[in-house]
Amino acid sequence: MSDTVKIYVDEKMMEVPAGISVAAAILGHSHSHNHSNDQSRKAFHNNSMDASPRAPYCLMGVCFECMMEIDGEANVQSCLVTVQDGMQVKRQLNTEAFHYKNTEDDLPENRRTNND
Amino acid sequence: MINHLDLLIVGAGPAGLSAAVAARSCGLDVGVVDEQGAMGGQIFRNLHLPFGRDVLDEHDKELGLQLFDAFHASGARFFSETTVWGADKNTVFCKHKGKSEKITATKILFTTGGMERPIPFKGWTLPGVMTAGAAEIILRSGGHISADKEPVVLAGNGPLLLSLAMHLIDEGIPIAAWLDTGRFSHKLGSIMHMGSALGDIPYLKRGMHMALRILKNKIPIIQGVNQIEALGENSLEKIRYQKNSKWHEVASHTLIRHENIIPRVQIASALGVELVWDSVQRYWYPKTDEYGRTNLNDVYMTGDGAFVNGGEASINKGYIAGIAIAQDMGVLSADEGALRCAESLAAMRKTCKARNYLRYVFAPNPDAYKVPDETIVCRCECVTAKEIRDAVREGFHTPDEVKRFTRAGMGPCQGRMCGNALAEIIAQEQGVSVEKVGMLRNRQPFAPVTLGEYCSLHAPKI
Ligand SMILES: Cc1cc2nc3c(=O)[nH]c(=O)nc-3n(C[C@H](O)[C@H](O)[C@H](O)COP(=O)(O)OP(=O)(O)OC[C@H]3O[C@@H](n4cnc5c(N)ncnc54)[C@H](O)[C@@H]3O)c2cc1C
Ligand code: FES
Repeated sequence: MSDTVKIYVDEKMMEVPAGISVAAAILGHSHSHNHSNDQSRKAFHNNSMDASPRAPYCLMGVCFECMMEIDGEANVQSCLVTVQDGMQVKRQLNTEAFHYKNTEDDLPENRRTNND
Repeated sequence: MINHLDLLIVGAGPAGLSAAVAARSCGLDVGVVDEQGAMGGQIFRNLHLPFGRDVLDEHDKELGLQLFDAFHASGARFFSETTVWGADKNTVFCKHKGKSEKITATKILFTTGGMERPIPFKGWTLPGVMTAGAAEIILRSGGHISADKEPVVLAGNGPLLLSLAMHLIDEGIPIAAWLDTGRFSHKLGSIMHMGSALGDIPYLKRGMHMALRILKNKIPIIQGVNQIEALGENSLEKIRYQKNSKWHEVASHTLIRHENIIPRVQIASALGVELVWDSVQRYWYPKTDEYGRTNLNDVYMTGDGAFVNGGEASINKGYIAGIAIAQDMGVLSADEGALRCAESLAAMRKTCKARNYLRYVFAPNPDAYKVPDETIVCRCECVTAKEIRDAVREGFHTPDEVKRFTRAGMGPCQGRMCGNALAEIIAQEQGVSVEKVGMLRNRQPFAPVTLGEYCSLHAPKI
């Protein structure tokens, strides 16, 4: 039996094996037979352009789909962070689409919504 | 963190670890950084944990544990969760837990490995869709791939699918369908024969064993699949695929896609290392000699990041680079260097020759990039294939031009996920080769750094 640690995902406690990444812990250790309640299939964050739900694709640091807030720091790649006892993890659920450029004028013309 | 090093190695996979062992054996002061929480790279991921060891087969486990022991005994220093984001003449910039650090070294070796080739398809951004490497990592983290051992669907064309299928069988997880996107039929048959064709007996045995188990488990392998769609509201619910222009459907909450491994060349590209196109595997790789020397002074690259030859070859490639670096620093004479490299060099040449067969068996099908217009190609910026094709028609002809017009490749992953597909689609649209179109150029920083992380470099040390 290996050691475990307790992490908190959106304030809910999860006991997971020590030494694994936050993303692997959530994807592999929070399944539920009730699909609508399956934490492992819930979005880790919403995409900042179209607000679509996103979850880890590569688990090895390339895709940035595992971004979460970890211990108060936003946009952390959770597949690169090892679980620690007491770690506070938050899904970045922002269901309103927004552009991280401030104004539409910063976007190329073909991507502005008020294109006339 | 560290003062000046003789050798800084970026990436603690098989290549990086064994380069460190070699360089230490010549008395160099060596440091190794990796953005992961532990050493091992892809093949030896989580080898320090019981479930990481359990998943690996005996041969690989033995290799990995030996390498770990040699590394620990070598006296090289290891820094985990440290991402390298920049480099300049004998200096590397990295971040660790929100703070940036600068490390200087006489020689810098990049062993940053490979990644799975991303091929876009409709719905590939849905939770429940992942790569074979991701599924492997879940298993090696003691986790479950699906709830209550629900059946999963495999798709693609590449060697990791075979080993993943073995591990799923071991775990008792049914495979509802295996959608083969490769060009060669009877691939299982050819795997059974390839070892004998090359006289690599241990490899033949492993290939035979895998092929027989897959046949015995009667997994429905569907060949000639040319379109895949992942469907669902907030996460994957079902998969649609096209074969012989007919559509079929299979229900599953897990889709695992794998399209072989390509080198991670973002750092090479940003530093100005010369890149070469491999027309069989359709990827760019840094031009190096067998010892990992690049066109830049004091910059070396080896392992799968230099050309994909697999884990065993990476161990030998790393060792050779470690010795060559000591030789280039004048620590060893050329004769002594050649002597110390000889065994690894011979082994490396043998493995590379044997595994070259895989390069052809699992060659990607260029048609896989003929994705429907509405497919999101750049996941970060949500840029579709149509937007890319429109941009080409507007007169933008290279990935960099199309990037500026569409924002494809400008998100947090900096084009790692869309770069290859972007170039393939642009090439198709113009009817020219991908080589001619060129690749999406990378710039520093090669990983996103926040202003705070950047400023911490210049903050006075307390
Ligand atoms: C997802 C995946 C799974 C694989 N699984 C297997 C397997 O099960 N069996 C097998 O035989 N082969 C596997 N392979 C093939 C694998 O590429 C090689 O066999 C072997 O691991 C390559 O060794 P390497 O040392 O060249 O690179 P890697 O093992 O890939 O190691 C590279 C290391 O560099 C680190 N790194 C990259 N960029 C940075 C940066 N900017 N800053 C800091 N660190 C960085 C990475 O975190 C990684 O640990 C896999 C490949 C991939 C991509
Ligand atoms: S899951 Fe891809 S970067 Fe973390």
